Amino acid sequence: MKVFSALLCLALLIVADPALATQTHGEPEGLVVHQIAHLFFLLSMGTLAYWIQARGLSRQRAWRLIRYAAIMLMVWNTDAFLAHLLDEQTRLIAVHHVDSFHLSIVPRPGFKFLVPFYYLVKLDHLFCVPALIFLYLGLRALLNDTSNEIKDSGAS
Amino acid sequence: MMTLNSVPILLVDLFGSIAMIVLSFFCLSIAARLRRRSPDELLWSYLWWMCLGLAGFAISRSAGHILRQLLILGGHREIWRSISPFSGAFNTLMFVVVASVTLYFEQVWTAYQQIQRDKAEIQDAHAKLVHLNQNLETLVAERTEALSRSEHKYRRIFELSPDIVLVTSSEGRILDLNPAGYEALAGNLPYQLGPVGAHIQNFLADEQTWDAIRAAINTNRFITSAEIMLLRPDGSHRMALISGSRDRSVAGVETFHLLLKDIEQRRQMEKQMAQTDKLASIGEFSAGIAHEINNPLGIILGYTQLLLRTETPGTKRQADLKTIEKHVRSCKAIVEDLLNFARSSPPVNAPADIHTVIDDAVNFFAQHARPEKVIIERCYNESIPPLLLDEKKMRQVILNLIVNARHAVGEQGIIGIETVLCPDGDAIEIRVSDDGCGIEKKNLSRIFDPFFTTKPTGEGTGLGLSVSYGIVKNHGGDIAVRSVPGEGSTFTVTLPLRRGRKENSP
Repeated sequence: MKVFSALLCLALLIVADPALATQTHGEPEGLVVHQIAHLFFLLSMGTLAYWIQARGLSRQRAWRLIRYAAIMLMVWNTDAFLAHLLDEQTRLIAVHHVDSFHLSIVPRPGFKFLVPFYYLVKLDHLFCVPALIFLYLGLRALLNDTSNEIKDSGAS
Repeated sequence: MMTLNSVPILLVDLFGSIAMIVLSFFCLSIAARLRRRSPDELLWSYLWWMCLGLAGFAISRSAGHILRQLLILGGHREIWRSISPFSGAFNTLMFVVVASVTLYFEQVWTAYQQIQRDKAEIQDAHAKLVHLNQNLETLVAERTEALSRSEHKYRRIFELSPDIVLVTSSEGRILDLNPAGYEALAGNLPYQLGPVGAHIQNFLADEQTWDAIRAAINTNRFITSAEIMLLRPDGSHRMALISGSRDRSVAGVETFHLLLKDIEQRRQMEKQMAQTDKLASIGEFSAGIAHEINNPLGIILGYTQLLLRTETPGTKRQADLKTIEKHVRSCKAIVEDLLNFARSSPPVNAPADIHTVIDDAVNFFAQHARPEKVIIERCYNESIPPLLLDEKKMRQVILNLIVNARHAVGEQGIIGIETVLCPDGDAIEIRVSDDGCGIEKKNLSRIFDPFFTTKPTGEGTGLGLSVSYGIVKNHGGDIAVRSVPGEGSTFTVTLPLRRGRKENSP
């Protein structure tokens, strides 16, 4: 029995191939993770906007502004997701930098309408900056509300 | 192929990135201020972490974008390529962090609400505690005063009640007793020998009474207006109404709370009224009969005397007529007594000294019927003024009472005659007492009935006390008797003290 076991181990060592236990991660994986992160961020902001509404917080100006911020970040996530999709995951358009101030966009036949759309989605800061402005205003309103509460409680 | 100007994209990207960094830090700053204001507030901590994540996101993203634009514009595209994966990865990581933190909003908000409610309750409780603490002395003083007032009120009801109020254990041991109860049950006994601590049965005449009371209370939870007979320290009985219920203390100790109302006086009054009514009825009845008999008797007496006038003395016929005349006169005397009892003949009142009247009666009795060993003791109140009375009839009353006393004492004894001026000064009492055999209880209610007598047949008509009763009542007075069998009796005649003009009726 011991002899049989020793022979079996020897045979396995002789015929061994690389185990490849650790999976390799290719270049597209980072993009997929990034896109999933955008969707996760979108879902998270949607949840925030929903709960603010569901809990009746949007009756207060501060939370209403924070809800607007969440909605704008949802829009921004959608925009960024589409931009990445057009830029790197589809072959519907091809973008080349002609020089530092010009872009050359080559759509596939039948997808010419995507050119202005792509140009617009590249302006994503038009969504995320207002989102942060709303968030800032909302937080400031919260700060004012708490200041008033403290004054009221102090006065009473 | 379409060639487009990328300057707007560049500018929006560049300034947007800068704005993102600036705004995110503004947000973080406000969140930090909120957190500093209330460091323990979960919601502000949550917002601070969310803003921190957003700031990280803004830096990772915007710095990357700015750097990319600057490097590309500077012709260092290769450098950007080497940095780009790290910038993108960090940016992705920040997305996930911000999104993860944001997802907990609902749980954070629920916990925040709960904490706020708990905080409000704790603050409320704290405020109440502070208020209680600050006003404890006042509150205690107010409660103590209210308790004292209540205690004083009920203590006064307890102590001033003319009825007996007592608390007993469920076994019947007296735990508390008000002064009226103490006086009723203990009389002049010292407090240590008084009823408190004793069993209530000791103060009840009937041995079964307490068991019956306890059974009634245990069955119905209360007892209402049940008649019981109390036993006084001097051995006398007094009738009372008992009401009560049981009570259970917080500690579970069961007690009986009882109220006893002495109705002996009322009962005696009712008996007296019944006696008066009875005698009044008998009086009316007697008066009717006496009137009807009196006239025929007068005719018989008249004709008998007419016949006697013409009859020869010494004959048998004259002797028979004399016998008829004697018995008719006897009948007329009885009828006259009945009329006196019925008060049909009004008294002829005139001012008279009651002591003279008594002396006349005593002298008459002494001359005719007093045995040698019967002593008559007189005790007069000399301040009694002359009374308006029918001297002859009142003398008859006194004589009747003395004769009855003599009959009670037999051949040897003491008869006492006392006059008393009542404390309120509007009546006098004449008390005729003896140390004779007394009157049995069963006869007490009948002694004023006409023809009721305990003397042997032929010795009395049973009209003496009835006639006396009628005469005294006719004078607006009263006559009462108190007797203890074997010890003697006392008859008390009460007469109103009327001064002034002469009158014919009371």
